[in-house]
Amino acid sequence: MTLAADRRTFLKGLGLLGAATLVPGCATSAQSPGNSGGSTGGELALQSNLSSEQAKAAMEKLVAAYNKTGGSQVKLNTVAAEIFRTQLPTYLTSTNPPDVYTWYAGSVANSYAKKDLLLDVTSVWDSMGNYSKAMQTLSTSSAGQKIFVPTSYYWWGMFYRKSNFAKWGVTPPKTWDEFVAVCKTIQSKGIPPIGIGLGDTPWVASAWFDYLNIRINGAPFHRKLLAGEGDFTDPKVKAVFTKWREVLPYFDPKGKSFPFQEATSALLGGKTGMFLIGTFFADSAPKDALDDIDFFQFPIIDPAVPVAEEAPTDGYFASKKAKDPDAVKKFLTWLATAEAQNIYVQSSSGTAIPANPDGKSADTALVKKGKAMIENAAEITQFFNRDSSDALQPTADAALTKFLDKPDQIDQILKDWQAAAQKVFKA
Amino acid sequence: MSPLILAFVLVPFVIEAIWVFWPALQGFWLALTSWDGLSAPRFVGFGNFSDMVSDPIFRTALKNTAIWLVLFGGLSVVGGFGMALLLQKERRGVGIYRAALFTPVVFSLVVTALIWRVFYQPDGLVDTVFRSVGLGNFVRPWLADPDTALYAVIVPALWRQIGYVMVLYLAGLKAVDPALYEAAKVDGASAWQRTRYVTLPQLKGVNSVVLSVIVIDSLRSFDIVWSMTKGGPYHSSELLSTYMYSTAFQSTQLGYASALAVIIFLLALAVILGYLIRAFREEA
Repeated sequence: MTLAADRRTFLKGLGLLGAATLVPGCATSAQSPGNSGGSTGGELALQSNLSSEQAKAAMEKLVAAYNKTGGSQVKLNTVAAEIFRTQLPTYLTSTNPPDVYTWYAGSVANSYAKKDLLLDVTSVWDSMGNYSKAMQTLSTSSAGQKIFVPTSYYWWGMFYRKSNFAKWGVTPPKTWDEFVAVCKTIQSKGIPPIGIGLGDTPWVASAWFDYLNIRINGAPFHRKLLAGEGDFTDPKVKAVFTKWREVLPYFDPKGKSFPFQEATSALLGGKTGMFLIGTFFADSAPKDALDDIDFFQFPIIDPAVPVAEEAPTDGYFASKKAKDPDAVKKFLTWLATAEAQNIYVQSSSGTAIPANPDGKSADTALVKKGKAMIENAAEITQFFNRDSSDALQPTADAALTKFLDKPDQIDQILKDWQAAAQKVFKA
Repeated sequence: MSPLILAFVLVPFVIEAIWVFWPALQGFWLALTSWDGLSAPRFVGFGNFSDMVSDPIFRTALKNTAIWLVLFGGLSVVGGFGMALLLQKERRGVGIYRAALFTPVVFSLVVTALIWRVFYQPDGLVDTVFRSVGLGNFVRPWLADPDTALYAVIVPALWRQIGYVMVLYLAGLKAVDPALYEAAKVDGASAWQRTRYVTLPQLKGVNSVVLSVIVIDSLRSFDIVWSMTKGGPYHSSELLSTYMYSTAFQSTQLGYASALAVIIFLLALAVILGYLIRAFREEA
């Protein structure tokens, strides 16, 4: 090839490149540009945020199993959870979006459905008759369409080591007063009773806010507050913090420096007594320590308030712009089967419970206890960001970590929180 | 003009226009809107800018950015220049010291942040050192204490930047004509007078490079703060850059975040233009 031809090819290439960037339009339109990993040909693109080692391996097995069933082939794109979260709006609004996404049920999914970005999967639900009422409600948009296919859920609880509780001579408390007494006993042994990990994961503090709020004011009040229909300066919200203050002296002071994974190590190493966390913490725990782990339900504060529990539900939704909606629905129908959910649950860390009532959860005493707690609950909540929005989470992170540090400034903290929340709801 | 030359001018210009100018202009437009990244942006005029006036986090971020500019910028110039003076003479083993000081520049800032986080963690190296010299009551959760978080992040940033500035000054010092020192010596100038009246004026050119580098590096400082504290605890180590990022990608208020970006741009422009105007005046 001659030099001149080379130059021509090069310039032609540059011209094409330039034109290509002009075509998708500007970022200010609702359609943002960029190739966000959309599907090509007859392949379905599945965008997954399950990037921890065990969960990723489980997803690979799941997809391999589906690809063997024939029909459209599914391609798995695993993206780090934090990047996935920030990119999700871009994926969904791009011109060539991935087809199916791992994500959360409830308010989060509904906010995308309201913008008309999600595929209506009501027909998938027609074949999912035996799912619980709670799961159905959780998967339905405010317009009444089914937009989500739940596949598993997990629970939050106060985890502890059985051997340590025996050593310290304490038993799992049921009420708030019993809980405070347990804290006192553990502290008298020279151990910080309550572990927490706020270093890189300040959102862990939201579990305390959620639980105290649903125990004191009830789940309906909690949901309304998080949906922007309430006010964080409400005296009922302040009551949550007044109660919380009673146990602040029992929190591990080192907990504000490290993330929840290290708080897990502290609990397993006997350096803290108890830890309010979701079962996902087991992903970063050695298997032998897990046999010594148990949990108790967050203590009851007001017996008159119907008992609610946090049980975040995971599953899938699909893009409205999926090129082959029938193939997507076929895949989702398969994901909703007990068979598919068993593949995932058995290959992951084993503490997730299949959403399909016929699915088989791990047969351990811990999982049975967790499942029973959720099934007996009068109300289910998801978690702060899932009941509100990812955008509201940073406002909670700032308010709650500041409260843990400077409880005296609670009035100002709640005022600032309300102002920050209002900005999010207004945006 | 030959079409080839024209292409060499126009093609880079077109690429620059598409990837730099156009997004920058869009940023200015977005700053006047309220946008969540999903719906169409809504025009709000200067609403975002007036919101900033009453935003306490913005004020903290602005104050911290100023502290960062003075401490990080100032100390890295002083430190880098001091190290360059110390290590400019060719002696046995001086190369090892120069290399040691320059090594941190080679590491990515994110890696630097990870290492320093281990130093700062409870019962980590920093705590151990303080305890071993009898300053145990200074021990605190360095990155989780709102009074120390910002300064705890400046230290590793400086640790890196000093080596960089040192190399710039070393190059400058090499260019100074030794005859000038000889002449000064003959005239009876002391070491301090030689530094003050020979070295410093000769380094004018390097100073302007260092200053631009420092101002730009200060205002774009993001990675080390983000990987060490994410602007926390509760916004106490927030810089304008981290606040812009979290507003855009965590709170998805892209209009407000664009307005913050405009402010950062204007600040950088003001500092650099201010310096350039002064420099030109002195030359005139």
